[in-house]
Order: sequence, then structure tokens, then C-alpha cells
Amino acid sequence: MTGKGEAAAQHREEEEDGEMVGVVKLISAEGFEFVIDKKAAMVSNTLRNMLTSPGGFAESRDNEVRFPEISTAILEKICQYFYWSLHYASGKETAEFPIEPEITLELMMAANYLDT
Amino acid sequence: MGSACSRKRGQLVHEDELYSVKFSKSGSFKWLLHTLSRSSSDVLRKAQGPAPGRRPSLVELCVARVRQDISRYSDFSMLPRDLSQQIFNELVDCSYLTEELLGAFRDCALQDICLEEYPGVKDAWMEVVASQGQSLLSVDISCSDVTDSGLNLLKDCSNMQSLACNYCDQISEHGLKTVSGLSNLTSLSLKKCAAVTPEGAKAFTNLVNLVNLDLERCMNIHGGLVHLKGLTKLETLNMRYCNCITDSDMKYLSDFTNLRELQLSCCKISDRGVSYLKGLSKLSHLNLEGCAVTSACLEVISGLASLVLLNLNRCGIYDEGCENLEGLVKLKVLNLGFNRITDACLVHLKELISLECLNLDSCKIGDEGLLHLKGLLQLRSLELSDTEVGSNGLRHLSGLRNLHSMNLSFTLITDIGLKKIAGLNSLKSINLDNRQITDNGLAALTSLTGLTHLDLFGARITDSGTSCFRYFKGLQSLEVCGGLITDAGVKNIKDLKALTLLNLSQNANLTDITLEIISGLTALVSLNLSNSRVSNAGLHHLKPLQNLRSLFLESCKVTACEIKKIQLAALPNLISVRPE
Repeated sequence: MTGKGEAAAQHREEEEDGEMVGVVKLISAEGFEFVIDKKAAMVSNTLRNMLTSPGGFAESRDNEVRFPEISTAILEKICQYFYWSLHYASGKETAEFPIEPEITLELMMAANYLDT
Repeated sequence: MGSACSRKRGQLVHEDELYSVKFSKSGSFKWLLHTLSRSSSDVLRKAQGPAPGRRPSLVELCVARVRQDISRYSDFSMLPRDLSQQIFNELVDCSYLTEELLGAFRDCALQDICLEEYPGVKDAWMEVVASQGQSLLSVDISCSDVTDSGLNLLKDCSNMQSLACNYCDQISEHGLKTVSGLSNLTSLSLKKCAAVTPEGAKAFTNLVNLVNLDLERCMNIHGGLVHLKGLTKLETLNMRYCNCITDSDMKYLSDFTNLRELQLSCCKISDRGVSYLKGLSKLSHLNLEGCAVTSACLEVISGLASLVLLNLNRCGIYDEGCENLEGLVKLKVLNLGFNRITDACLVHLKELISLECLNLDSCKIGDEGLLHLKGLLQLRSLELSDTEVGSNGLRHLSGLRNLHSMNLSFTLITDIGLKKIAGLNSLKSINLDNRQITDNGLAALTSLTGLTHLDLFGARITDSGTSCFRYFKGLQSLEVCGGLITDAGVKNIKDLKALTLLNLSQNANLTDITLEIISGLTALVSLNLSNSRVSNAGLHHLKPLQNLRSLFLESCKVTACEIKKIQLAALPNLISVRPE
């Protein structure tokens, strides 16, 4: 029994590692594709759920997520935020994340949807 | 989709308040520390953005950005309501919201509008508040100038669950009629509302879903409780300082069998009034502070087996009848301060082993009585101020390893006694304001390295005794006002970097050198050096004390004018100053 448990734990570890490496493709309303590190995408709780729930979403198999309601400009900004957030958490980033007044509300709605 | 403000919904009774232990005597000013937590620090923090360390979410960053550019926006109704709610809360938290900006939130389907103590709130604001319609779940317009007509605008917001109109003195009996239509209310708070008269209280008749009702300081409520009769879901009822409530009002409480908390401080009720509480078997908090009740009411109280908190401070309790306390084994907080009880009462407390807070302030108790407290191992707070407790009695307390706070001011305790409590190293707060205590007594307590509050107000501590302070590195408040400290002794205070409150008043030999020595205590929020030789010439040493909010230099060689100068030049947080 012990051996089996260990094997299971090891398997889980590999799975988790697998979750964080590699890239994922985010596709905007206009069809623009952003290829970002999976680790960055995980900053969004919504994406994390999509990409990690086993067998739940097609996205977790294809590593590709379409956002028919998010424009290219906003999706680009969001990808920038993902990287900013990672750097901020590791202490490498201290500058403010810039947000242009013209896009604030649209960005906020997208961020809300992405739970980030 | 829980909104940030929703935690406030229905949160009428604050547990902390119930459990808080009054510690200070006159001459102390710890109240200031408590009021500070409500001060602008929270707003300042918000204005500076999210706390460092935690990464801000993109939504938070956008909300902050909207606040910065708020003049660009005139309508948020196209946003999902949880986002407009967050923007609204941000503007309120940062005191950015104005009547003009409020218009942008018309028809936003907001759920929570918390404008408690917000400046400028008046009827004109209520139109936008009411435009949230059926979405609106909680409103707090406490301390506003809203009148009956403003309140009336809320009449169609029938989903409202929580309404607070504390200290709204423009609301009349007529205005309360609006409330009567809000039958989904579970929480209603009307502190100091003159409109709660026998006529005004008719508005409560329909509020059958009420769980929490706060009528503190409603001075005209006498005769009106009859209209509460049907509110059988009530769980908390606050009628503190309703000093018109009499025994005849109490009978209407007898059907509130779901009541968990009942606050009746300073009501005009007697033992007969308490008798109506007999059937309230779920009651866990009962506050009768300042009521004219005697030990005769304890028989009824003994039947309230769920009691966790019982406050009988400043009542007319005497020994006979105190045996009725024995069965209240769930009690965690018992306040018997300022009663005529003696050691004979304490014997009945010895089985109350759940007790965490016990207040015996100014009771006629002595050393023998403390024997009965020996087994109360859960005690965290013990108030023995102004009792006849002496050094011999303290030996009974030496096993109370959970004690956090102990007040021994104005007792008969001397230096010898303090040795017996030297092992209580959970103690964080101790009050030894007592002329018999000297350097020797303090030296016996150097093992209490966890102390954060030390009150030696009247103790006869000299410069040599101050060397003990180095054992108390975590001290946040220190009062040493026995008159024997000189500048040389203050040197032993200069390393207590955590100090926020320092009172060295009445030490007439302190000079400007003291100011220089303590100028490194930059956490100080309150400083008192009254009755010393501090002079105008030394004030510049205060400049590094940027957190200072209160400064007392009464009867010193300082002038109000010179303090004002330094306040303007260097001490932006200073709000309370003597002389002024």
C-alpha cells in the first residue's frame, strides 16, 4: 500500500510540473493570437481553472483559449499584466502597472471575467 | 458575486466590544489608543494603494485608476454591478465621493451603500441611493442630515435587508413609517433616534423578519415596546442607555425566545423587570450594567443556562443570592464591578471554569476571596482595581497561566506580593498604579518579557528602577508618573522602540533633555510630559515624532503658540494638544 501511495504522489507532482511549463495561446475577438507562458496565464484564476481541470474544458487539452468578447488591445494589456504580476510577486518589479484612462473600464470588465 | 461591503450587512453587534475589558483609571488615557484604530490611518493606507507584498489584482488596479481619473466618468450603469460596487466603495473609503460624483452611480444596481459618518450626506443623495431599486440590500446613512423625505425615497427598495440610520436627528415619527414597508429587513439600527416613540415604534410591527434591532439611546421609547411583540425572530436587541425603559416595558421582551444578545445598560429596570427574561433560554449575552437590580434577580438569571457574558457592573448586587451564579458554567465574561459583594460571593464563582474575563473593580473583596479564583485557569483578564486585595492574596493567582491582563491599581499590594505573579509570563498588560509599589516590586517582574502595556502611574519608581524597562522590549504603552524620575531615568526608556503611548507627567524634574532622549521613539502616538520643566526651547526635539497625534505639556514652560508652530512645521498628525 505504501508503495502505491508514493507512486501516486510522484505522479501528482509530475502533473503539477506539467501544468506550469509550456505555453498557451490566447485568441482575441479579432482572431489575434498571443502565445504566453502557461505560468503567466495562471495568474488568472479563470484561466487556471480552464487549463487545469482534468477533462473539463477543451482548453486544457489544446492549450488554446478563445475570447470572442475581448479585443486585441485589451487582451495584450492583460498579457502584460500577467507578466507584471509575476515580476511583482518575485520582487523584481516595483514600478506601477500603467493603465491608460481610455481603456480602464473595458480592461476592468475583462479582468473581472478572468478573475485576475 | 459577493461585494466588498457586504460583510457590513447585518453586523450590528460587535463581539469585540462585548469582550473588551475596561482597563484604565482616571489619569490614564488609553482610550486614545482605542479611538486611533478608527482614525484616518485606514483611509491613508487605501489612498496609497494596495499593501506592499501582496500583488494587486488587475481589477483593483483598474478601480484605483478610475478613482484617479474620476472626473472622466459620469455614468457607471453599463458596468456589471460588482464592478460599480467596487468603484463606489473605493470612492467612499478614500473620501472621494461627492454629491456630483454620486450621480454616476444612478441605476447601477448596487447592493450595498455604506455612507456611515460620510460628510455631506443629505436628502439629495437619497435619490441616487433609491435608484438602485430592488438590488439594494443594505444602506447605512448614519450621522447624515437625511430627513423624512429623503428616507421616504427608499420605500420601493423592498429587498433591503439592513438599514442603519444612527444619529440621524432629522428623522421624525412620520419618517419611520417608510421603514415599516421594508418587511425584508433583518437588521435595523436607529441609535439615538428621537422618533422612536410609542407612536413611531408602530413602524416596527410589520418587520417580522428582524433579527438584529439596535435602539441604543432612543430616549423616547418608553411605552413603545408593545409594537415589537410580533418580532419573534429577534436575536439581538440593543437598548443601552434607553434610560426611559422601565419594568412595564420589559414584559414585551418575554416572548423573544430566540434572543441571544440583550443589552439594557442604564435602563430604569429593577428585579421585577428582569423576571420577564425567564424564558429566554437562548440568551448568551446579557448586559444589565448600571441597572437598579439586586441579587434578587440572580435567581431568574440562573435559569439562563446559555449565558456566556453577564455584565452586572454598577448594579446593586450583594452576597446573598450569589449562589445562583454557580450554575452558569458557560460564562466566559462576568462583570461584577462596583457592587457590594465580598469574599463570600467569590466562593460561588469557583466552578465557573470557563471564565476568561472577570471584573471585580471596587468590590469589597480581599485576599481570602482570591482563593476561589485559583481554579479559573482559563482567565485571561482579571480586574481587581480598588479592592482590598493585598500581597498575600496574589499567591492564589500564581497558577493562572493564561492571564493576559491584570489590573492591580489602588489595591493594598506591596512589592513583596509581586514576586508571586512573576511567573505569569503570558501577561501582556499590567496596571500597578499604586503608591506602595517601588523599584523593588518592579524588579521582581522582569521575567514578564511579553508585556506590552505597563501602568505605573502612581508607583514610586525612581531612576534606578527604570533600568528594569530594558526587559520589556515590546512595551507599547508606559505610564510612570510617580514624580521621582529625572532625565537620567528616561535614558532607560529610549530603547523601547515599540512605544506608542508614553506618560511621564508629574515628574517635575524632567527637562528638555528628556525630549532629546525620547526623540528616537518615532512610533509614539501620544506623549504626556505635563507638570515638568520642559520648555519652548526643547520643542524642536519632537520633530522626528511624525506619528504623534496627541501631546500634553500642561503646566510646563511651553506656550500654545510655540507648540502650534512646531505642529505646523513638522507634526502633521498632531490633533490633540495641551495647552492650546
